Amino acid sequence: MFKISNKEVKSGSMKMSLTADESRTLYSLLAGGDHRPFSDILADFTSKIPRTRHFVACYSLLVLLEPKKLLRATQRLVGFSILHQTYSSQKSSFNPFISFIVNAASDEEAEKYERAFVFQLLATDTSSSGKEFLKQTASDYIKGFDPSLHAFPQLEQLQQQFCDKVQAQSFDCLLKDCSVRSVVPDPDVPLGCDADSAEFDLLPGVAPKLGSGERDKTLLGLLSNLSLQGSSPEWIRPLPPRLPIQNGELVWLNLDDHHELLWDHRMCVDTSRGAAVRDLIAKALKGPLIPAQQEQVVVELANDPKLVYHCGLTPRKLPELVENNPLIAVEVLKKLINSPEIAEYFTVLVNMDMSLHSMEVVNRLTTAVELPSEFIHMYITNCISSCEGIKDKYMQNRLVRLVCVFLQSLIRNNIINVKDLFIEVQAFCIEFSRIREAAALFRLLKSLE
Amino acid sequence: MDARDSSSSSAPNRDASSSAVEDDGALSITAALAKEAASLFQSGKYAGCVEVLNQLLQKKEDDPKVLHNIAIAEYLRDGCSNPKKLLEVLNNVKKRSENLAVSSGEQTDALNTENKSTLVKGNNVSAHQAPANNANLVYMEEFDASIAILNIAILWFNLHEYTKALAVLEPLYQNIEPIDETTALHICFLLLDVGLACRDASLSADVLLYLEKAFGVTSTSQSENGSTGVPQSTNVVAKSSSVPNNASAFDSSNSDLAASVNASENPLSRTLSEETFEYESMLSTLDIGGQNPATQTGFPSSNVLLRIPVDRSLSTVDLKLKLQLYKVRFLLLTRNLKQAKREAKHAMNIARGIDSSMALLLKAELEYARGNHRKAMKLLLASSNRTDLGISSMLNNNLGCIYNQLGKYHSSTVFFSKAVSNSTALWKDRKPTTVSQDNSLLIIYNCGVQYLACGKPLLAARCFQKASLIFYSRPLLWLRLAECCLMASEKGLLKDNLADSDRSDIKVHVVGMGKWRQLVLEDGVSKNGRANSSGREDGHFSSEGQPKLSISLARQCLSNALYLLNHSETSFLHSVLSPNSSLEDRDSNEVAAPRRNYKNLHCIDSKASSTLGSSQITANGDAKEQKGATIQELVQNSLSYYDEISRRENLLIKQALLANLAYVELKLGNPLRALTIARSLVELQESSKVYTFLGHVYAAEALCLLNRPKEAADHLLYYLSGGVDFKLPFSQEDCELWRMDGTGDLEGANGGLTTANNSSQEDPHHINFLRPEEARAVLLSNFATVSALQGNYEEAKQFVSEALSIMPNSPEATLTAVYVDLALGKSQEAVAKLKQCSCVRFLPSGLTMKRSS
Repeated sequence: MFKISNKEVKSGSMKMSLTADESRTLYSLLAGGDHRPFSDILADFTSKIPRTRHFVACYSLLVLLEPKKLLRATQRLVGFSILHQTYSSQKSSFNPFISFIVNAASDEEAEKYERAFVFQLLATDTSSSGKEFLKQTASDYIKGFDPSLHAFPQLEQLQQQFCDKVQAQSFDCLLKDCSVRSVVPDPDVPLGCDADSAEFDLLPGVAPKLGSGERDKTLLGLLSNLSLQGSSPEWIRPLPPRLPIQNGELVWLNLDDHHELLWDHRMCVDTSRGAAVRDLIAKALKGPLIPAQQEQVVVELANDPKLVYHCGLTPRKLPELVENNPLIAVEVLKKLINSPEIAEYFTVLVNMDMSLHSMEVVNRLTTAVELPSEFIHMYITNCISSCEGIKDKYMQNRLVRLVCVFLQSLIRNNIINVKDLFIEVQAFCIEFSRIREAAALFRLLKSLE
Repeated sequence: MDARDSSSSSAPNRDASSSAVEDDGALSITAALAKEAASLFQSGKYAGCVEVLNQLLQKKEDDPKVLHNIAIAEYLRDGCSNPKKLLEVLNNVKKRSENLAVSSGEQTDALNTENKSTLVKGNNVSAHQAPANNANLVYMEEFDASIAILNIAILWFNLHEYTKALAVLEPLYQNIEPIDETTALHICFLLLDVGLACRDASLSADVLLYLEKAFGVTSTSQSENGSTGVPQSTNVVAKSSSVPNNASAFDSSNSDLAASVNASENPLSRTLSEETFEYESMLSTLDIGGQNPATQTGFPSSNVLLRIPVDRSLSTVDLKLKLQLYKVRFLLLTRNLKQAKREAKHAMNIARGIDSSMALLLKAELEYARGNHRKAMKLLLASSNRTDLGISSMLNNNLGCIYNQLGKYHSSTVFFSKAVSNSTALWKDRKPTTVSQDNSLLIIYNCGVQYLACGKPLLAARCFQKASLIFYSRPLLWLRLAECCLMASEKGLLKDNLADSDRSDIKVHVVGMGKWRQLVLEDGVSKNGRANSSGREDGHFSSEGQPKLSISLARQCLSNALYLLNHSETSFLHSVLSPNSSLEDRDSNEVAAPRRNYKNLHCIDSKASSTLGSSQITANGDAKEQKGATIQELVQNSLSYYDEISRRENLLIKQALLANLAYVELKLGNPLRALTIARSLVELQESSKVYTFLGHVYAAEALCLLNRPKEAADHLLYYLSGGVDFKLPFSQEDCELWRMDGTGDLEGANGGLTTANNSSQEDPHHINFLRPEEARAVLLSNFATVSALQGNYEEAKQFVSEALSIMPNSPEATLTAVYVDLALGKSQEAVAKLKQCSCVRFLPSGLTMKRSS
């Protein structure tokens, strides 16, 4: 099966066995050996069977020739002649059946006339005059056969002469696939009888008895059923199993809410909502608001949680708000804590110049909302470096005191984890140990250790 | 309950009150028209509504919101017949709003520069930062397109286009804070439904967590004091606002100083040196900060986030119930059945006194998932009235699911068909005002699965083809369709081939009689015969749009499924099965977002944890510890468990796909491709032994076809044990385990599973596959073939006879045995084997001699 499928590809869609008509033709050609000369039969073969089908026909003949008893003597000779002469226009080694023919010529067990005939066939290649013997009928050939006139060369000699090794091998290979024939004799004779005995041959005029059969019918049947492919081992290819129904594959339906289309209620709504707050925020960027104004901002922001997003504040404007109105900044940031922009606001807050107000904002935020610890750490670092950067001693003292108190408050309220900043803060305390608050902070650190 | 009605009914009040405050009741003409239109819309008088809106449009030409509402009203007026057109209009509205927002943002910026000269410097900076501020500008209320976007998502959702819905919803959700509560809730619920529908557990989890934080009603502990959240937060505001009053009194007193803020170079030195009082007060504030009781208790951070729906369109209880139900559905999705049961019970408690039908139905689903099919059935039948077509369609469908699981295919088919006809009837004469999902296609998918299980591949394929309109991105759909093709081929339903079952008989022609009798084996006996692949690529559809099942269609489907599985994050596919195309062109934009980072799944997103702080979650967790698992823990557990389940499921599907594809390639005569695929199947880690076995067998066959018998033998020798014999390639448990794979759940050996076991005795999954012993015979027989091909006939004879002793009626093994006998010249033994095998058909040779002249 396997190598054949490769050949299948080569031969394309060629039908691998003879049609009923072809079988009949071939059979009648074989049977004609009794009364027609070989040359006529050969001419009929080439004219009645198309060229493309020659191989299949010859192959079928080969299968019939292999078992010695299937064909009558005359039929065998006709068969050999067709097998050989079909390819006689080419070099003998191109004949795909050459090794079979050569083997037949040197088969010691075969009838002498058959060997002689096959050898003569082979010899036609070399001598152009040697085709005379094909002008007689097969039965005449057998009748007139004189064994003494023929010498029988050895197999090796013939092989050397007729089979070009390389070619022969490749054809061998091609045929090897079919070397196991798909034909099995299954004689249907009564138990204990010898199937080969002549008693089962059908004789004209005698009623057929059990176990007898017509050779001709068999031949015809074989011709029409033989296939190039021969017998082959088969592969078991299991069909993959159907995947079991997966969990959740069957759709379970739920009584779900319908999602209805929404009406936009803000159509033509007065958009002055929050206009007052927007104005106030704009003012707050420039300078401190009076308490009443601050109150108004805080109340309006509280009344409308979304207002903060429309009040006109952007991260870029935050430092101005912090400096001028730290408490409003705190309110706004608290409201914005869930906004996607809050990180941006925090970044601005950390990076703006250190000031009393920014510290106030941060301090208030720490008690009001969760601040990301990175932010607080950055801010503290910023504070410490600001302290170190101040030249004016008086100012520096004041700032250090403030930072220390701020840090203490953060620590006491568990807003920062001291461990994260321990070294930095400790160094800061030591540097400014002359200041009372710094010393207090240092003691606090020690007590936490 | 109907969310639209309630939300809209309350909204005008809000508008009215706010405008009353600002305008002393003098409603402008436009506002009056808008109000009229809104009330007409609510009462369902869409035609009148459109008229009023058109008047309004004359006053406010090209106003996106007016255009939006016109589109919505017209769509409803016209019976929701043309969603595609509405989508187009809404997309235009969205674009328009965004453009307006950008240009108005530029205007205000320009205004700032003109009027507020003191800020010139700042504005110059802003010019560079303009893009960064866009997000802010987009949400300037006037030009906010969030409603339009939400409506777009709703339309996609109702069309089952979840990927597209997600693509528009996601940006809204990421920036949900500025959006008002009612809309925000709609967004969250829709997103939850999308997440559940496309089984995106992490998306669902994130939204649930957000809802919990923002609305504070999902967790059991919070729900009790949810209402107290409001006064608490206002208290805080009051408290903090009282402080600035004092402080700013001093600030305002020296306003001159304050005015010079910008002039001052160093604000720090200014505050430190000059504003002594401020400095001291700050110092003292900080100093006493530690003793401040308000700060010591700290803010319950959830309260900070707490969002209270302003208009209260949903009562707190309704909202609570709704969220609880979503939670149960999430747990069901992630197959956390134990928790689901607990939460379902809680949902029933909440639902008491309100409408409990939803909760009951979910409970039914829960019991179904746990394998308690009887209980599920009872719950289903008890839950609702069955007069409503939609409900009865749903009930019938779910009953169909249950009967399928019980292995009662006939009843299952009946119920599914009923469900389909209910659903189509509902869809035909639905009220024109309801916008909802057509579930017919979902039920039709169920029908397909059902038909396939019953061995009706043609009907099943038709169902799958229809369902592909919405399921086209699911690998499983394509696998099922391929299975239809293979089943049809096996049953000989394909036009161009014989039934495999017919072919599996060995045909022997009996030629001649008596002593001349000969037996001729017919070639191409087995089902290994090649399917005709040439010239079949012209299309997979007949002119009526029915799928033309073929082996090459199977290949196409399997490749689709593999592609989808390998890119399960993306869901782009040119559906080969939509000849009359669905509603839109599936363009390449539809590549879903890559694995998203969810802000509320703190473990994933670093940015989120930096703003929200991970400590906050633990703080919350501590607070609720006594109440059992927090929702965060619940979600985390469920998610990681679900990840594992999904991974295993995908692995199983992948194995099935590869096995089928290798088989199909062999059938189509492409041994090289079959070999590649079979090899990758064998190389899969943690794969089922059954599929590994198939992989080896297919690879070996492909290698034989490629004339490489030695390598082929190696694949089979994988199963050689002790150097002489083949072991069982898999055990019965492997088979069972593999069948059970999908049905295990978190409960482990809990009650649910045992009932599942009981029901599996009826074998509802009904899989036809080789028994382990038969699989061993396959190995033996195939190894014999390989040996025979290499000329080792004696070895082949030994193995094949062992194979035949296990599977005496295997045609392939018989043929191999006959071949070996013939090759050894033992024709009588060959004949005897042929006569013993039950799968041999002896055919008389029909040809007679027609005497020709």
